[in-house]
Amino acid sequence: MSQQVAHWLDNLLKEIEGIEVRRKSSRRVRVDVPADALPALLELLQGRAGYIHLSAISCVDWIEDDEFELVYHVWSYESHSLVSAHIRIAREPGVYLSVYDLYQPAGFFERDIHEMYGIHFEGSPNMEKFILTEWDGPPPMRKEFDSEAYINEHLSWQEYNPEWLQELVAEGGGVIIPPEEQRFSQKKK
Amino acid sequence: MRPENYEAQRQPPSNEYELNFGPNHPGIEGNYALKVKLHGDIVLEAKADGGYLHRGFEKLMEQRLWIQNIALVPRICVPDPSPMELCYSMAVEELCGLKVPQRAQWLRVMQLELSRIAAHLFTFGGHAATTGMYSTMYWGVADRDLLLDLFEEFTGGRVYSIYNIPGGVRRELPEGFLQRLTETLDYIESRLPDYDNLFFKNQVFVKRAKGTGVMSREQALEWGVTGPNLRATGLAFDVRRDDPYLVYDQLEFDIPVEESGDAWARTLVRRKELMESIRILRQVVEILPDIHGPIRAPIPNPLAWNVPAGETYTRVESSKGELCYYVVSNGGPKPYRVHVRGPSSMHAVQVLEKMSVGSRIEDIAQTMFSLDACPPEVDR
Repeated sequence: MSQQVAHWLDNLLKEIEGIEVRRKSSRRVRVDVPADALPALLELLQGRAGYIHLSAISCVDWIEDDEFELVYHVWSYESHSLVSAHIRIAREPGVYLSVYDLYQPAGFFERDIHEMYGIHFEGSPNMEKFILTEWDGPPPMRKEFDSEAYINEHLSWQEYNPEWLQELVAEGGGVIIPPEEQRFSQKKK
Repeated sequence: MRPENYEAQRQPPSNEYELNFGPNHPGIEGNYALKVKLHGDIVLEAKADGGYLHRGFEKLMEQRLWIQNIALVPRICVPDPSPMELCYSMAVEELCGLKVPQRAQWLRVMQLELSRIAAHLFTFGGHAATTGMYSTMYWGVADRDLLLDLFEEFTGGRVYSIYNIPGGVRRELPEGFLQRLTETLDYIESRLPDYDNLFFKNQVFVKRAKGTGVMSREQALEWGVTGPNLRATGLAFDVRRDDPYLVYDQLEFDIPVEESGDAWARTLVRRKELMESIRILRQVVEILPDIHGPIRAPIPNPLAWNVPAGETYTRVESSKGELCYYVVSNGGPKPYRVHVRGPSSMHAVQVLEKMSVGSRIEDIAQTMFSLDACPPEVDR
């Protein structure tokens, strides 16, 4: 990103209240905004600064702060830079707005976050289950979900000690392949 | 979409019917399904159904040490695992401020480009099979095997090489390896005219692929498509050049583009990319012997490694498009959050759904393989 573009972007972003811009490297900008200002920011970035590619929406569960962090990574094909817009929303009720109208890829990410974290995105075209079709437990990526405890509670452990394994253990375990039989020593020359 | 969850319903007489395309279907890439609504053989509606390959990588990574995850990440995408390792390693390096030695960077480029060639050969095979040309598949898989031999030799693993670790790479090259690499590259290159005759110029394929699954540049940008699929619509965007990492800015390579945006164009872009990867590897073979020094930066005891708190977003160009990792550390011995953005999460879900509508049932497989959709990346 050239100096001129960077300067212009900084000025542009000043139009939004409560914004905090941090330049992490020549191609990475971190922006923290209040949750209600995000749609305006994205609209500005997309419409006036050429950030037309939504690379991803990431969600982080900050359970100690009782908040979810949503990070919108947008890329500009013109200035070759990536802006990551961070917002925080309350863990309860865990509702936010969809940005599908601005960026169509958001449809997938919002559906994924809904499934994994239970955040509901208002206005998103499809909030149906996609990956965890037959899962009826809590959203598994939330920090309070302990997968090991869930397994111990809902599934039983099975003994697995077949004869061939016992034989192998009795022989000292493992198989030794002599060097002349190894694939590479055979193939070369 | 399991039979026990699917109840037969009495419908009023109509020419419309629903069909489950996948998950066990030769025309579908990996374990994935499309639920299609048809009128005759024209698709009226398509719904992607994933989850058959969900292994919960992101959750698993939060429960393992930073170094342990290195063995986990390549398994996210089977045909092209190397960019996964690199992307994760780059994120950890950025969080720790580790500087990767020059030699390691060149070795990483070598691994990535080999992986790209292997992935493209694999894709050609699968794609050809959708038009009934199984010979290309046998050839593609056999030639890919030669690259896997190289992987086995210099990393120890054929498919999941686990070669990158935060700070550099695990091993120095075996003696005489670059010579053997050159021989394999010469061989692959010498095979390309045969591939052209068998596949790329074969009218059976050309007539099926031309005009199938057309996507305009505007649509591609709107739908968030990246990689060869975007380049097939005429936009020369490549993370390697436009958001460079490793030593790609010191290498000479072109970014092939095609204009028509159909299955044919996408395949041609991959064919040309394969040549560019060979070109990059030749440069690596030439330059690597002159670059000496360590192959990894010293890291703390990996079993008691608290990565400084922070967050980073790293991007790599995989054979399927833009691959990104969003990694968050809270200063602990394990990642606080790892988000994997596989390129296929775009073109295997929403894009495939949109592109299937209006096409004929037999073109779904053609479209899906030409997009090079990789379901394990979507499911993670």
